[in-house]
Amino acid sequence: MALKQISSNKCFGGLQKVFEHDSVELNCKMKFAVYLPPKAETGKCPALYWLSGLTCTEQNFISKSGYHQSASEHGLVVIAPDTSPHCFLIGGCNIKGEDESWDFGTGAGFYVDATEDPWKTNYRMYSYVTEELPQLINANFPVDPQRMSIFGHSMGGHGALICALKNPGKYKSVSAFAPICNPVLCPWGKKAFSGYLGTDQSKWKAYDATHLVKSYPGSQLDILIDQGKDDQFLLDGQLLPDNFIAACTEKKIPVVFRLQEGYDHSYYFIATFITDHIRHHAKYLNA
Amino acid sequence: MEEESGEELGLDRSTPKDFHFYHMDLYDSEDRLHLFPEENTRMRKVVQAEMANESRGAGDGKAQRDLQEEVDELVHLYGLEDDHELGDEFVDENIPRTGVSEYPPYMMKRRDPAREQRDWRLSGEAAEAEDLGFGGWGSAGQCQDLREAYRYTHGRASEEYECYVIPEEEDEEEAADVFCVTCKTPIRAFQKVFDEHKEHEVIPLNEALESAKDEIHKNMYKLEKQIIEMENFANHLEEVFITVEDAVAMADRLGKFLKTKTDVEISAQPEFEDQTLDFSDVEQLMGSINTIPAPSAPVINPQVPNSATGSSVRVCWSLYSDDTVESYQLSYRPVQDSSPGTDQAEFTVTVKETYCSVTNLVPNTQYEFWVTAHNRAGPSPSSERAVYMTAPSPPIIKTKEIRSCEEAVLICWESGNLNPVDSYTVELTQAESPEASGVTESVVGIPTCESVVQLQPGRSYIIYVRALNMGGPSVRSEPATVHTIGSYFRLNKDTCHPWLTISEDGLTAVRSERRTPARELSPSDTHFTRCVAVMGNLIPVRGHHYWEVEVDEHLDYRVGVAFADVRKQEDLGANCLSWCMRHTFASSRHKYEFLHNRTTPDIRITVPPKKIGILLDYEHSKLSFFNVDLSQHLYTFSCQLHEFVHPCFSLEKPGCLKVHNGISMPKHVTFY
Repeated sequence: MALKQISSNKCFGGLQKVFEHDSVELNCKMKFAVYLPPKAETGKCPALYWLSGLTCTEQNFISKSGYHQSASEHGLVVIAPDTSPHCFLIGGCNIKGEDESWDFGTGAGFYVDATEDPWKTNYRMYSYVTEELPQLINANFPVDPQRMSIFGHSMGGHGALICALKNPGKYKSVSAFAPICNPVLCPWGKKAFSGYLGTDQSKWKAYDATHLVKSYPGSQLDILIDQGKDDQFLLDGQLLPDNFIAACTEKKIPVVFRLQEGYDHSYYFIATFITDHIRHHAKYLNA
Repeated sequence: MEEESGEELGLDRSTPKDFHFYHMDLYDSEDRLHLFPEENTRMRKVVQAEMANESRGAGDGKAQRDLQEEVDELVHLYGLEDDHELGDEFVDENIPRTGVSEYPPYMMKRRDPAREQRDWRLSGEAAEAEDLGFGGWGSAGQCQDLREAYRYTHGRASEEYECYVIPEEEDEEEAADVFCVTCKTPIRAFQKVFDEHKEHEVIPLNEALESAKDEIHKNMYKLEKQIIEMENFANHLEEVFITVEDAVAMADRLGKFLKTKTDVEISAQPEFEDQTLDFSDVEQLMGSINTIPAPSAPVINPQVPNSATGSSVRVCWSLYSDDTVESYQLSYRPVQDSSPGTDQAEFTVTVKETYCSVTNLVPNTQYEFWVTAHNRAGPSPSSERAVYMTAPSPPIIKTKEIRSCEEAVLICWESGNLNPVDSYTVELTQAESPEASGVTESVVGIPTCESVVQLQPGRSYIIYVRALNMGGPSVRSEPATVHTIGSYFRLNKDTCHPWLTISEDGLTAVRSERRTPARELSPSDTHFTRCVAVMGNLIPVRGHHYWEVEVDEHLDYRVGVAFADVRKQEDLGANCLSWCMRHTFASSRHKYEFLHNRTTPDIRITVPPKKIGILLDYEHSKLSFFNVDLSQHLYTFSCQLHEFVHPCFSLEKPGCLKVHNGISMPKHVTFY
């Protein structure tokens, strides 16, 4: 697959690049950001995937989170894809209604493989993130295909959790900032799942972290979750971390959940704790 | 050549040297004969002379002519032509003779006269020499006898003997009949007229022989006298030795007598007491006997540094005069700083040398020494008093109180001595390398009974301590072993709350079900009063320290660190001098807090840790907690550590927790 480099900037000794390509899963052009640390010049590095939240593109994370120094020090390649297909860019798949709300459609892929029309052709973010993108990265960049981890924020947090839980052993570690932990029970999730997956709620559970944990068979996971205490969406009941924690406690899945006093849902919150998360992943990726 | 010098000496001197009889050759093996043909030659010539004398003496009745002939025969027989040939002769003796025909004719000729000579030779004084019997030439046994005879004769001869060596003579047909004194050679009468002998004095041969014989007899007599004198000397020497032995024995007895306390009350009768005895005669007599004066006072040396042991000192002194000294008396007693009224026991040792190793002393003690010199006339004045000190006893390392980390160790010990010592020395050696490597490092001049020593990480060390005073160092203490892996500390019983029991190894704290009434403790007490807690003794060294605590899932506990002066009346984490992780288990729910100054972040942990790893990092001012089994990081405090902190543990309900030490930091911890 041909990669087209859109931009490249030197940062903390490494290179922050943005590429564009034609996605098979999504049937449109997609952009993604890649950070190559200094160590990548001389050898293969582990790969850390970041999934952004609602309304974000590949730009928010690389501009606002301040992750570069930590990634550079620990020698990690960080990949940040877009949050949904952007069909209007190509002037192709104009799907009606995809821009109507900020929490559904464009910029709100929810990292599922949609089964409902008109979304099912393009909105296959789950497969894109778990299959197509890693293959692309492994083929084109100096990464070790055996060492991969995933993390994200909000909807991206949800995405990271479900990718890890649905693929035991694929990711060495997982972490999240203010994730949507129990989408089947929160307004966002209900809206998105009914749109992408239909009304059969049993299909929804396949993409719900709290539910997935309950039947998680697999290998040891070490989950780090940071949640701003002053996060409005937490107070609105969109995130529901307690449910997830309770389920993990029961299943003895190791989680450290930190409720951070005074912090909100923004990238300022992410920037504050991003170093802890990168270190968390480095511990497993560089072991 | 030996014989030449012998001749000269013999001619010039009439008195042989005194101690020259025991010539080495007396003890030579037979073999020596043929190794040193020159000596043999000399011997032979002496023998030759003797035998010649004998032949002349014994054969007085014989015709002079015959004697001459025989002499000549002897001359040739006993090797006068050629030294080397003669040497060969003797060498050849060893070879069993098969046939006589091997030898040149002249040898054959000689043999016969030898046999003839044998019989009459056996008479007379010199016959002693030949007692052994002269075998003629031609048989091993005869050779043997000949050799022995020569040996004996040679032994009695020396270079200094006046040996009239009858020189070689090529011409054997014409026998000599007169003797030229000047040339010391027998010549024929007509020769006197000619040549070199014109001016020389000549005497008849028999006269010459007589005088030669006389000379020999005189020399022998002198030798015998010397033997007697030697024996006398040896006897005298023996007497002196016995006298000295006796004197030493006497001195010993005297010394012993002086040491024993004799409580003998001699009650003298009044009349005796008043009598003045006139000792002047005796004194005069004594004085005439003892002409030597009593010696002058010796000078006692100051103690050589580091020469003492814990129980002995080596005292030395000198005598700066030519006085005769038969023995020294060294006295000593422990230095007392108490009032003079108390008398310490005084000891005395008698020695012959100017030094003495005094043993059976008490360690780390000062002793006063003084010495007097003694001879027959009496004792010298006492020397000055010198103070010597024994080395101290070795210290005893408090092994249970050793604290260490990867970079250093804190050792403390008991002095091992009642009185103070000057300083201590710590010696370390690495345990991996064998004993042969010896001490690798010493820390000297330590003023107190504890020391922090820098070490390399990941090694094992054996540590010894010595005490030092002016007498020298003590022997090494019993060793202690230190491993620089992780940090080692023990729970400090002096800090523990009354409801806690600390195990013998200092690593387990138990809170029993029973509640003993908490006694009223003053605020300055080192024990925890409110929090049922105990503090560990971490080595006061910066850097990082890692230890683990084993807890029960259902146990309510607090684990963390605190400054040494934390208020013991408060809970751990309730003030700004302590940080801890707190676990409470209630209603089947685990609750975790990370407390400092009463505040805690909101943290949920889904899997309760059974073993908690704690990392204290002074460098980065951080205190981190981990779930060891999961390699999971739990929480990190940022703490300003301006002073040293100690690990703290508290049990909020009955149960026990166990500390694990000496663990090197696991890899996952290194990320923090």
